[in-house]
Amino acid sequence: MAQTLKIAGYSTVGLTIPTGLLPERVKSMRQTFQDQGIATALRIDLGSTSRTELLRSLRRFRNIYDVVGVKCVNARVATVASRDRRVDVVFFDPVMHNVRFNHSLARLLHGALEVNLIASLLTLTDTGILFRLRKAIAVAQEHNVKVVLSSGARNAEMVRAPLQLSAIASTLGLSETASVAGVSSIPLSIITENVKKRKPENVEEGVKIIVSSRR
Amino acid sequence: MPRRYLLVKILYGRALTDQQFHDALNASVRTHFGDIGFARIDPRIIKSDQTTATSIVSCERSAIRELESALALITDCEGASMAVLVLAVSGTIKGLRKRRVR
Repeated sequence: MAQTLKIAGYSTVGLTIPTGLLPERVKSMRQTFQDQGIATALRIDLGSTSRTELLRSLRRFRNIYDVVGVKCVNARVATVASRDRRVDVVFFDPVMHNVRFNHSLARLLHGALEVNLIASLLTLTDTGILFRLRKAIAVAQEHNVKVVLSSGARNAEMVRAPLQLSAIASTLGLSETASVAGVSSIPLSIITENVKKRKPENVEEGVKIIVSSRR
Repeated sequence: MPRRYLLVKILYGRALTDQQFHDALNASVRTHFGDIGFARIDPRIIKSDQTTATSIVSCERSAIRELESALALITDCEGASMAVLVLAVSGTIKGLRKRRVR
């Protein structure tokens, strides 16, 4: 898969890591990508079903991972995740009809909306998926919400070039600039910001240690 | 009408003939954009290289994004999974050849 990503032209990828994975295994996975010249960012997808569970997970994992994504499985979780500044991206399962990205969520959203284009379009044959993706993209554009385009690839066959992801998004109604930013500047800025925040000299937003008192 | 040329890499388990790729491409364009879209995009396979599993595909300049999408949405060919990656886009075939050499 690392080789395919390299051919496709990726320079940085987000690796979704299960919470219980051993650090050695994570290190070896990152090494595999590094050998191909691809930088990696560790990412966690939280699939909490309640507000309390989500907040607990955020407290526990925010400082460990570079990117925190929340899968919105119900309206309550979607509202909390959209409002919370610790959440980088929220995404919706296109199969789930009970929760969708709507105007009220768009107004609340601090992070970015992630659209898993390939995972949604290739694995599902339901024609309503296209409609739901179009609708989500239209709502995001109306409220100037940042959109991150992702393939959601789980194997090499699901990998597509960034150019292709942005092309699919533009055919679904996203503007040309936003679709290119969705595979380049927006995800990169999320990673850069979080890596900066996780550095030990960072105290809080806007405050960092410049000179250490210890010599 | 001006055209755009795309260098694509085909990831397929077996050896793929030009005809198979042609059928898969046309089917994807027709499925996602219909017959009118097919006429507007006007996809054509210019050249294929079996050794590197690459092809040069062309389309109408204004329909480049549609062709890129259609190529991304190709998932299988005769029952086996297949993926098509766009490596480069150029206004001339010569430009693409230069990139392939690189």
